[in-house]
Amino acid sequence: MTVSGVWLVLMQEFRMRVRTGRWQWLLGSWTAVVWIFTGLLYVVLAEDQYNDDPVGIPLFGGLMLFVLGLILLVSPAITAQSINGDRERGTLATLQATLLTPTDIVVGKLLAGWSVGLVALATTLPAVAWTVTEGVTLLRAVVTLVVVALLIGVVCAVSLGLSAMLPRSITSTLLSYVFVFAIGIGSPILFGLSSAVLATNTGPTRDDLVWWMLAPNPFVVLADSAPQLPPKRDKYTGRMIPQPNDPLGELGREVRGVRRPPGYQRPYPEPVDYPNDHPVWPFGLALNLAMGAGALVIARERLRSPAHTLPLGTRIA
Amino acid sequence: MVDGYGIVARDVCRSFGRVHALGGIDLTAPYGQVTALVGPNGAGKTTLMLILATLLAPDRGEVRVGGIDPVTDPVGVRRQTGWMPDAFGLYDQLTVAEYLEFFAQAYRLDRARTARRVAETLAATRLGEYAHRSVHVLSRGQKQRLALGRALLHEPRVLLLDEPASGLDPHSRIELRDGLRGLAAAGVAVLVSSHILSELEEIADRIVFVSAGQTAGEYEVGDLANAGPMPWRVRATDPAALSLALVELGLAGGAAGAAGVGGAAATAPHESGVVLPPMLEEQAADLLAALVSAGVRVVAFGPVGGHLESAYLALTGDQR
Repeated sequence: MTVSGVWLVLMQEFRMRVRTGRWQWLLGSWTAVVWIFTGLLYVVLAEDQYNDDPVGIPLFGGLMLFVLGLILLVSPAITAQSINGDRERGTLATLQATLLTPTDIVVGKLLAGWSVGLVALATTLPAVAWTVTEGVTLLRAVVTLVVVALLIGVVCAVSLGLSAMLPRSITSTLLSYVFVFAIGIGSPILFGLSSAVLATNTGPTRDDLVWWMLAPNPFVVLADSAPQLPPKRDKYTGRMIPQPNDPLGELGREVRGVRRPPGYQRPYPEPVDYPNDHPVWPFGLALNLAMGAGALVIARERLRSPAHTLPLGTRIA
Repeated sequence: MVDGYGIVARDVCRSFGRVHALGGIDLTAPYGQVTALVGPNGAGKTTLMLILATLLAPDRGEVRVGGIDPVTDPVGVRRQTGWMPDAFGLYDQLTVAEYLEFFAQAYRLDRARTARRVAETLAATRLGEYAHRSVHVLSRGQKQRLALGRALLHEPRVLLLDEPASGLDPHSRIELRDGLRGLAAAGVAVLVSSHILSELEEIADRIVFVSAGQTAGEYEVGDLANAGPMPWRVRATDPAALSLALVELGLAGGAAGAAGVGGAAATAPHESGVVLPPMLEEQAADLLAALVSAGVRVVAFGPVGGHLESAYLALTGDQR
């Protein structure tokens, strides 16, 4: 891999993307959707705020979960055709015959696709900056943004790998969406069903056996990795309680609770922190990153030439 | 392996699943000459080109491009090889100059050389006026010129062209022919595959016939003329006089058994002339002399379809 080679491919892909699509409209409508959502959510939360809880915390959590979902919907389309699409247009082979290495091509294409996703994420930055002044810690904002950025990269990488493995761009696009569906919706469904099956067989819930099924879920990773906010004093009981109205914190505590051993008795009153709870997100994030890295390795192998084997139905040129 | 050869392939085999695309092909392409790769569709020409262009690994056999093995050192081969595939795409969103710049950089030319080569290529391909226009406005012939210019950006010593003349109008083909002759004169080993046999006869120094993944014959173009007897066509201002003279010479009607031409008869007269049975050049020259001395006013006399076509049909005749 060479920096100049990656840069050349990256700029080339970027130039093509900028000149191809009606990206101004796409970016414009994307920004509009994000800001309409933020505005409406703000109105709802501000109306609902009967106590002194800062509105920025639920606003930030809701916004990031929404943006993650939206980006997951869009990301597969960014890179799912970047290799087999080039092959279909007859531009891949001439590129492979140059002095660019397969790694240059794969990494350049990944960075180009990824940066499109990051631009989409960047349109939420003003809203994020505002929520930081409204109760969200800077650490949480930064960590959450980094995790979303990594998850976008994972979806781009997996889609890129599929576009290298499959001869037809329509198939790789479809399978990229299947991948997003599998981690986004399939994972909680699988967890829920497995949990129910185990519960009927053995009596007490054995979620501790199947918690890992939730781990690759991007929303779980996002929520659980978000640093906890400082606890606050409940104004009625005077005890310290976790920050209420915090979707990320609540979801994170929930999935950590799933890992508890069977027969665990919830203490009362609810403590601010369960020191024995183990985080789920490191597994989920590691699994996602491993899938992304694996897809990139496959893509690079597919681009390596001279080719010994070709994917079924592929012509080099 | 001989140093004077830009391309040497020995007993190269390649299969795709159960399809044997190449079954032991042999080929040499010397520097300073244009070698033509000729054969029917599916004979393995493109497969061989892909192997030479370092994109496909052979199952078996020895390959050297510029003295380098493309399997063990593909980068070394790419540095000195230009390749133009038969079907290719251009980046439609780029301008002509951007397209060339991109590939110059992909071939790791430094900034100064990139600028120089892009300018030279724009001039050589006569695409200067399109430098800042989108690639997709180019005509087919212009796109072909651009692709050839692209293949030559890094000044390769070996040039691989897969069907470069397909779809070109006569004017563009003449340009291509002159361009390739110029490259060969500059010492480049040019390998060109084509179906347009009459063109190849003027472009190529050497012809390699391939059929069903194997080399069917490797000839100097000059030798093709004497490769074997071939049919000749003769036309005269007065077809009736020509027919009469041919009958007298024992070459028409029921006068079978004429010496030296295997007893075959000439075809019936036609506006395009009379096709004579297969003869060697010496025999044909004798016949022409006889016709002229018999007072027939001959205006055209030559091998039907050219030497190359005759040799091609003879070598691949079973596939017609």
